[in-house]
Amino acid sequence: MEEEKKGLLKTLFDIYDKKYKVLLLIPLLILILSLIQIGYQVYKTGDFAKRDVSLKGGVTLTVPFDQSVDIDKIESGIYSRFPNNDVNVRTLRSAGTIVGVIAEIDIDGNDKEEIQKLLNAVQDELGIDLSKVDYGIEVVGSSLGASFFKESLIAMAVAFLFMGLVVFIYFRTFIPSAAIILAAFSDMVFALAAMNLLGARIGTAGIAAFLMLIGYSVDTDILLTVRVLKRKEGTIMDRIISSIKTGMTETLTAIVAVTVAMLVTQSEVIRQIMLILLLGLIADIFNTWIQNVGLLRLYIERKAKKGISI
Amino acid sequence: MNYKLRRLITNWRVILLAAFIIISVIAIHPTMKQGLAIRGVLANSSASIAGIPQPKPNVQPVARERIISINNQRINDVEEYYQYLSAIPPNKSIQIITSKGAYRLITLEKFETVQLNETEEKNVTDVKQYNESINGTTQIINETITKKILVPKTKQISKGTHDIGLRVYDAPKNNIRKGLDLQGGTRILLQPEIKLTQNDISILMDNMKERLNVYGLSDIVIREAGDLSQNQYVVVEIAGATEEEIRDLLAKQGKFEAKIANKTVFRGGNDIVYVARSATEAGIDPSTGCSPSGPQWFCRFRFAITLSQGAAQRQAETTKDLAVVYDPETRRSEYLSEKLELYLDDKKVDELNIGADLKGQAVTQISISGSGAGANKQDAISNSLQNMKRLQTILITGSLPVKLNIVKTDAISPVLGEGFVNNAILMSLLAIVAVAIVIAIRYRRLLITIPIFITMLSEVIILLGVAAFIGWNIDLAAIAGILVAIGTGVDDQIVITDETLKGETATVYNWKEKVRRAFVIIMLAYLTVVVAMIPLIFAGAGLLKGFAITTIIGVTIGVFVTRPAYSAFIEVMLK
Repeated sequence: MEEEKKGLLKTLFDIYDKKYKVLLLIPLLILILSLIQIGYQVYKTGDFAKRDVSLKGGVTLTVPFDQSVDIDKIESGIYSRFPNNDVNVRTLRSAGTIVGVIAEIDIDGNDKEEIQKLLNAVQDELGIDLSKVDYGIEVVGSSLGASFFKESLIAMAVAFLFMGLVVFIYFRTFIPSAAIILAAFSDMVFALAAMNLLGARIGTAGIAAFLMLIGYSVDTDILLTVRVLKRKEGTIMDRIISSIKTGMTETLTAIVAVTVAMLVTQSEVIRQIMLILLLGLIADIFNTWIQNVGLLRLYIERKAKKGISI
Repeated sequence: MNYKLRRLITNWRVILLAAFIIISVIAIHPTMKQGLAIRGVLANSSASIAGIPQPKPNVQPVARERIISINNQRINDVEEYYQYLSAIPPNKSIQIITSKGAYRLITLEKFETVQLNETEEKNVTDVKQYNESINGTTQIINETITKKILVPKTKQISKGTHDIGLRVYDAPKNNIRKGLDLQGGTRILLQPEIKLTQNDISILMDNMKERLNVYGLSDIVIREAGDLSQNQYVVVEIAGATEEEIRDLLAKQGKFEAKIANKTVFRGGNDIVYVARSATEAGIDPSTGCSPSGPQWFCRFRFAITLSQGAAQRQAETTKDLAVVYDPETRRSEYLSEKLELYLDDKKVDELNIGADLKGQAVTQISISGSGAGANKQDAISNSLQNMKRLQTILITGSLPVKLNIVKTDAISPVLGEGFVNNAILMSLLAIVAVAIVIAIRYRRLLITIPIFITMLSEVIILLGVAAFIGWNIDLAAIAGILVAIGTGVDDQIVITDETLKGETATVYNWKEKVRRAFVIIMLAYLTVVVAMIPLIFAGAGLLKGFAITTIIGVTIGVFVTRPAYSAFIEVMLK
């Protein structure tokens, strides 16, 4: 049994060591599939993500509520009164128990009548008197939603550019730097596609999460590239393995922290951030240890052929 | 071991961390203070008449004035406060002891005016104009006649006790200011209709602050925000106020105009050079004073203003063609036929007679007067003075230079807010514990797990300390920022540990070199995080600014304070 396990590990290690070019196809395939998903999303909805009210404009109503509810029924109940609007109802949970209900709808927040209509609808559907509870209401003007979204995309592009610049300035070689940037890009694309597949909405908090992802993603890639290119001890494979040890500890602590936070929090904002981070961190495992490692080794191999040793 | 401990506590990097933690704890200032903190004092309320001061906005949370007892009854929470006060009838004296002093308040009666079905007669005066030949020349003669008209009768009904006018909340236990999403309140994002210059926008914000303060709202943050598309916004955040109240206040432009015969002679702002505010030049008019009228009292206030030459000239042009009105009793010429009408936001707030001697004169000194009413004399006086202050503010700062459109409002209910705080604390603690468990499994050494755990906690304390010190609000986005900072911190601790403890292969390097190598990786990762956060500070009306800044401050503290201390610890203990 032990022998068998060792044998299996050895085979896996051999594949990882020798067949890195073939393995490179895995992250590449995932990247392509993710891009196809996003392309399909654009084709189907005209938008590459499911934007929530904070990026689109509308009204979010949060009502404290502690009984179990049929969300779909409430949603269709509200929808029947707003047939021309996009309605989304979710429960607010804390450690597994329902503590509130959130209704999002893209109505004009300055229209008092529409808001009253929404309050009435929620009141009737939930069977509670809203004047007796402390509810929260958030209004985003549609122009702000749209401009905020545009702004966030610009911010993200600039952040990406700056990050790339820092990486290039330090390593001063094209392929290793590009590999780091590609890994961060792949993480973000995967997280976005996965969010779309889960039908999850992205709001202002989501934008923050994607930016955080840049930081977490490059952490491991920088570690790998510094150890492989700038260190001398051991073989390249030794340095890669030592990087995996450190890097996987980093990623695992992050995944555990993010998962715990996601399960415990009752804030939609934080849950959205944590979900995006979780998806991105999972992608980071293969994008760093297969994709980035593969590209680095290709680079080293090419240099070796030219007679430069690393 | 003793030797190692001594080396550790004398290491300057460890001392630096300890100093940061101590300063942070002092800044956070945790206390066990009881009672209710005063958030705001409503103008003209019993509380403001009794002299309870409006709290200053920049005072630290724990230093706020707190209500200890009412009529020697200890008040512990907001619910008790309202319960106790609701039982007190009008016109009763109550004593409130606060952390700063004792106040004697008289509760006011609340009235509602209702229109009755009956009518009553009322005398009104009217001016009639006709031509008359006197000694061969035609002159316009104004005659004032008095006539009686019927108006619906009104009646004042008592509606119980008026709120004493204090806005209170449970006394804060530390100096960490909670963001709106954590404590409840209203956030409004306003966009000026046209683009304003830097100067205009600061006048706008001063003016808004002044107005909101007059209305008893002191926990206000007004800040300018912009985005990458060069849009201008003004963000107003008010804790413990309802959306309706703020909407009403802010949507008003505060445009002041003085008109004669429907022609504007001067406006608030530039046309006015000086507004007298000293006690001798401004206050209740000593010649008319206060007088009762029905169930209410009325007082008149007056203050002097100085007009610009241009405005005085305009006034002269307008008044030179006006007729002189004769007082019906004395038959002496007293006033001009048109009055000086004062408009606030296109609503006439007052009209003043213009003395006959001012006809056609470019006078720069004018006296502005107005009135205020109240249920009793004291009330009427303070009401008039409040109206005066408001008018003065508008005259000095001018109107809001531009109309503001409300683009986003968040009304966050405090009940959800309270739950959020406890939940956020629980979440952060559990996340930290979970990370510690992973570290413990990976290294199987308490000498590594415990320091990493302590480093994480000290980063939270220092970040909260910085927040308390610079008075910035901890909201959900900031909590997310704190989590990122700690997360990258843990990553760095792992890098330090692995770089320094790497087996025999690395024996060629001394400790200094090992630490240096770890910091190469850390600095590079640090720089990428910082540059990635910078664009977010400027984008999207600054809605994610809190997140970006918290993250940047957090990772900076990590790299320059906690990381060096951790590496010093590893070096001393494990070398």
